[in-house]
Amino acid sequence: MRLFTLVLLLSVAIALTAGAALVLAPGSHPSVGLALFVSPTEVERQLLWQLRLPRQVLSFFAGALLASAGGAIQARFRNSLAEPGLIGISGGAALSAALALQFGLPVTWVSLLAFAGGLGALGLTCLISRQSVDNDRLILAGIAVNAIFGSLLTLLITTLPDGSLRTITFWLMGSFANADWPQARLFLLAAPWLVWLLFREWRLLNLLQLGPETAFHQGFDPRRGGARVVLFAAMAVALVVSHCGMVGFIGLMAPHLARQLVGSHARRLQIAAPLIGGWLALLADWLAQSLLYPAELPVGVITSLAGAPFFLWLLRQSGRRSRHA
Amino acid sequence: MLEASHLTLRHDGLTLLDDLSLTAACGELTLIIGPNGAGKSTLLSLLSGLRMPASGQIRLCGHDPYRLGARELARLRAVVEQAPGWQPGFSAAELVMMGGYLPAGRQADWRDAMRLMRCDALAERRLETLSGGERQRVHLARALLQLLCSDATQRLLLLDEPTAALDFGLADALMAQLRELAQTHRIGIVAVVHDLNLAGRHADRILLMKNGCGAAFGTPSEVMRKERLEAIYGVRLAELISQDEQLRAFVPLSGTDERD
Repeated sequence: MRLFTLVLLLSVAIALTAGAALVLAPGSHPSVGLALFVSPTEVERQLLWQLRLPRQVLSFFAGALLASAGGAIQARFRNSLAEPGLIGISGGAALSAALALQFGLPVTWVSLLAFAGGLGALGLTCLISRQSVDNDRLILAGIAVNAIFGSLLTLLITTLPDGSLRTITFWLMGSFANADWPQARLFLLAAPWLVWLLFREWRLLNLLQLGPETAFHQGFDPRRGGARVVLFAAMAVALVVSHCGMVGFIGLMAPHLARQLVGSHARRLQIAAPLIGGWLALLADWLAQSLLYPAELPVGVITSLAGAPFFLWLLRQSGRRSRHA
Repeated sequence: MLEASHLTLRHDGLTLLDDLSLTAACGELTLIIGPNGAGKSTLLSLLSGLRMPASGQIRLCGHDPYRLGARELARLRAVVEQAPGWQPGFSAAELVMMGGYLPAGRQADWRDAMRLMRCDALAERRLETLSGGERQRVHLARALLQLLCSDATQRLLLLDEPTAALDFGLADALMAQLRELAQTHRIGIVAVVHDLNLAGRHADRILLMKNGCGAAFGTPSEVMRKERLEAIYGVRLAELISQDEQLRAFVPLSGTDERD
């Protein structure tokens, strides 16, 4: 476990320096990035500290938050195909952001409203599922809320002025391009705290994987505890969506990769998944900037391109498992 | 330590349990038997505090279980359901350790629980590589650890069909083990089983149920009467008695099913 954490932290450091190397040219060797940290020219130093680093910090912690929420949501719903977006949070945040843009509000307000919209969507999901946190009902309600918000969003997009269309695309496809230090500082403070809040529920997350009855018999309250987990995960996802838009599939992929490496035990998974999630987000952002350089792809395109086949592979695996069970 | 009196439970207009009473003592193995749909598992869910009866009363170690929180209840009783959940990616030892998650006053070693349930050799194995019977044992060790960690003076272990996934040799051995465990650790054990002969051989007390009612409750010799069992199960039985009259077994006579 210690070796694993060390390897992962090292790879995150390499990813950070590789990202920094992008200051010079796409696809530069990570060592170039390292050199930038050691002896930068004044211009490079400005680029590095004002553009590159906040973006690296934002993307790493956004990935970590999505992965942490994904691991917790998968354990909570005993469903390895579950993803934070499933319970309506992403749809709510995107719609709120679009509404804020429609009214011409400043970016800070757009982020705040997107955060509130994400949490509001979760509330609506719970209301539709009649305050039940039963697995199937909540996920079905989440799909319904996503569908409603998705169609409202499409309606809204048709009425948006051209200038706002570009910004709304950012929300729909996800991007770390607008990163600045205030955002990075917020993520530096909030992300470790949210990851920690989800990590400290590891006992409950383990027991919930055995079923709510077992959790109850072992002395835990599965309703209140489960609701707490969903709330923390919703806060994590809403924070990401409100600043980076909808970056799909990291919340699904990272916990799965972590599970392959460290098993299902939540005490290990809720550490490994955020590290892997952060690393995946850095990698996806690096690809988004490098593939069509000097043009930049939305990062959500990269994560979806990798994530959709991954999801299908998982579906196939789970189908096989249930046939052999 | 467990007193349930006049329990009644209704659901969707159906009476699942009707005026049912039961007592269980520390150090004793109490087995619940009866045909399918008799309400055995439903009764267990009431005793565990998971469901509330429409009427009647349960006293668990002198407490009303429905007034206790999940945490306090977990100090007094542990439960292994009929098909306890599991996820791939956990080792058997990790599953057993979950029994000790709640600090309940006493230090206990998960290895002891695994040894007592004779599954310590499985400790490092992943759950997906275990058979159904092996997993059942690991779950039993988890529930046992929960009780070993408890500082309560009276403790109850509730098991729903613990022998369902075991062959008859292992099922017999498990029942003997459970009875020994009850006596040595002064734990009250209440378990649902389907095998009448297993119940007759190992139980200190038996509750025989039919249609949500208690048909008989007492020692095996009081409850296990051929005519009564034939009436309850609706099947003709042959009663086999060993030469020294120490062992009795009931064998259903095929082709004489009277249930229809």
